[in-house]
Amino acid sequence: MQDSDTTETDGGVTVQDQPFGLPRWAVAVIPLVLLAIVLGYLFLGSPFAALATGGAALPDVTVSYTTLPDDQTVLVHVTNNGPGTVTVEQVLVDEAYWSFSMTGGDRTLGPLESSTVQIPYHWEPGWDLEVALVLSDGATIHHTIVAPATSPGVTGEVVGTLAVVGLFVGVIPVVLGMLWLPYLRSVSDRALHAVLVFAVGVLAFLGFDALVDVGEFMEAVPGAYEGPFLFALGVAGSVLVIQAVSAWQESRTEGETSRLRTAYLVAVSIGLHNLAEGLAIGTAFALGRVELGAFLVVGFLVHNVTEGPAIVGPLARGRRPGIEHFAALGLIGGAPVIAGAWIGSYAFSPTLGVFFLAIGVGAILQVVWEMADLVRGEDGLASIGTPVNAGAFLFGAVFMYVTGLFIAL
Amino acid sequence: MSPSLDYERAREYTDALEGRLVDALDGDQGVSRRAVLGSLGLAGGAALMGTGGADDGHAGAGGGESHGNFGARGEFDEGFDPHEFLRTFNTGFDGQDNLTQEVFEEDGERVRYFELTAVDTTIEVAPGVEFSAWAYQGQVPGPTLRVTEGDRIRVQFTNGSRHAHTIHPHLKNLDPRMDGIPQNGPGVLEQGESFTYEWKAQPAGVHFYHCHSLPLKAHIHRGLYGSIIVDPDPERVRERPEEYCDFHESQITPELTEELVARAKSRNHEYDENDEVQELVVVMNSFDTNFDGGNEVYAANTRAFAYGVGETDGKGNWAPGETKRPIQVDGQRPVRVYLVNATEFDLINSFHTHSQFFDYYDHGTTLLPTNQTVDTVMQCQAQRGIIELDYSDHEPGLYMFHAHQSEFAELGWMSFFEVV
Ligand SMILES: [Cu+2]
Repeated sequence: MQDSDTTETDGGVTVQDQPFGLPRWAVAVIPLVLLAIVLGYLFLGSPFAALATGGAALPDVTVSYTTLPDDQTVLVHVTNNGPGTVTVEQVLVDEAYWSFSMTGGDRTLGPLESSTVQIPYHWEPGWDLEVALVLSDGATIHHTIVAPATSPGVTGEVVGTLAVVGLFVGVIPVVLGMLWLPYLRSVSDRALHAVLVFAVGVLAFLGFDALVDVGEFMEAVPGAYEGPFLFALGVAGSVLVIQAVSAWQESRTEGETSRLRTAYLVAVSIGLHNLAEGLAIGTAFALGRVELGAFLVVGFLVHNVTEGPAIVGPLARGRRPGIEHFAALGLIGGAPVIAGAWIGSYAFSPTLGVFFLAIGVGAILQVVWEMADLVRGEDGLASIGTPVNAGAFLFGAVFMYVTGLFIAL
Repeated sequence: MSPSLDYERAREYTDALEGRLVDALDGDQGVSRRAVLGSLGLAGGAALMGTGGADDGHAGAGGGESHGNFGARGEFDEGFDPHEFLRTFNTGFDGQDNLTQEVFEEDGERVRYFELTAVDTTIEVAPGVEFSAWAYQGQVPGPTLRVTEGDRIRVQFTNGSRHAHTIHPHLKNLDPRMDGIPQNGPGVLEQGESFTYEWKAQPAGVHFYHCHSLPLKAHIHRGLYGSIIVDPDPERVRERPEEYCDFHESQITPELTEELVARAKSRNHEYDENDEVQELVVVMNSFDTNFDGGNEVYAANTRAFAYGVGETDGKGNWAPGETKRPIQVDGQRPVRVYLVNATEFDLINSFHTHSQFFDYYDHGTTLLPTNQTVDTVMQCQAQRGIIELDYSDHEPGLYMFHAHQSEFAELGWMSFFEVV
């Protein structure tokens, strides 16, 4: 209905008169223009100059990592995460001025700019190397290369070797663990719930483990990248994305497939966790720490066998899915180790590490939620907190702790 | 102005060296001139004793056999010239342009008058590395004052720095008001304040002046120091020869007296005998660029490796740089180094000559050496002395000298004489 006294309608909404008779678009734009003016004033007018202490911002340069392609070259990968430009004027190696060059043409780094400092220096394997960058204002950025050893170059052989390592660390143990499925299908509900809660214990441990790793990387993340924020973003992002995918799946499927869906979710979260494991292995090799890499391989192998039953646990009831699903679950859970190892050995950065680990933690949180639903059952009546379940949870965590010792030793 | 090294000559020498290298390789495997010139700057060989660094981009990573080269990268900007500083003596009669100075008689005494101003400034201590210094007359080390024993040194000091400063002389000073410490005389001088210090020039020797405000470490390390050279008066030496050597009065022979007088004339800038000697001032100093209580830069006269070679391949092929080049000396004339240790944070510093021994006069207060035929001397902070070198029997070429704390050497206190 149209009333000639009031204004016209626009899609059923009553349109108010705009002040001063301005067109609607102008009223929408005006606040934006005013905001731009205020921002411009803040930037150009420096109205808060009186608050300045007179001290310039300290240069903030991070050494992300170092590579040693051969025994007479040291590559120091640096990022300027301060607000101003910095210039690397001199380089000290073991407290002596040394010749060097930098990628990118000049020695000046703008905000967030990264570069590689190339130092021709004949280093001794195993003898710690202290590198310091001297900036134009005399500030020094120190970095110690502990027990230097040649970093492997990018060769087909190394790529292949890392793939095989990933297969052994990720895919094989996960698939081995999945072979418990026929046994799981024969046990009682109580026992099965215990197995599922055991898997939750495993995941909880992995989540905690990821937090510890994040703590280690966090220090090396260039300040401007806001490591803690990046971590929170990764966790929240992965929880929300997986939850959304899961809800969308649920709306399309009935109860039977929800078990398979949960299995896939467990596989995805374990896969993300295993990506981080791959990063650790790849980084160890990239840093030339081959012995450490070998220990990680053995440790992770034993450790990852427990991830198999966690993935297939949800499938212990109901119709057994086709073999192709098991192949997919095994690959999703285990193969990311290979990808992680490649990334870790060639393109590792602490920033990337924090982000991957955050995604893993988010996935774990979401899966734990799903598993709890599964244990509660369709009717939501079964208790989670039974003594058996509590014991199984602890057993899962302790089991991971014990197998984790293989890695630490 | 005292003579400084000829930049033009340095450039010609570089061209000559490059030309020689190109000629040597000419037609050889079709090496292009450009390639050779480009690689001249490339640091090669593990030449520990070859200073100088590669220019930007020349010392590429993975560069085959290259072990890199120690030494600071690049050249210094204009500004303070350590080569000029080496041979600049301010006598009141003559000296650097930016220092007001004069000589006049007053009450039967000769007065050497100087006007020194302390300022806050920025100095370059390694190529590209700036250091915020507090400096007398805007330079580190401060101007070298040179007078004759018995003169009156009058220094009108104005503090143009934001911090409070003084001038404390290492002289035998009979008036406590003139000691330049916070507790005596005018005390510390705040920004804008002036005071005229007056000191008797005694004893003969090479001495030190520095700021004595608190915290002492900061005021010295920031650059408030310089040298006062008191030349022996040959007339006084003839009257009291026993004060200029270790011998007792009873042991002084007329021959020894003549010898001491002759040595005094050689040391005194007002005598022709002094012109024969190539005199150099070397102040050993250091800079804590990140203020962590340890030095990042050590130097002879402030600029790390300034008396090194510009470029070297570590195989004997070297070239002087624009600002980094050896100290050229005439091998046929004696060399005298007035050496002062202004190093902060380290207990001692040292001076070591390669392929050469020298006579050393601790504090320069004697006319006979206190150490004979040595190649290394050490000095604690504020200690100083005179080194006398003779290269007349050496072949022309590069002769290294440096601190024999190898850490200091590799952090900048590494130098060469180029004997010609
Ligand atoms: Cu030596």
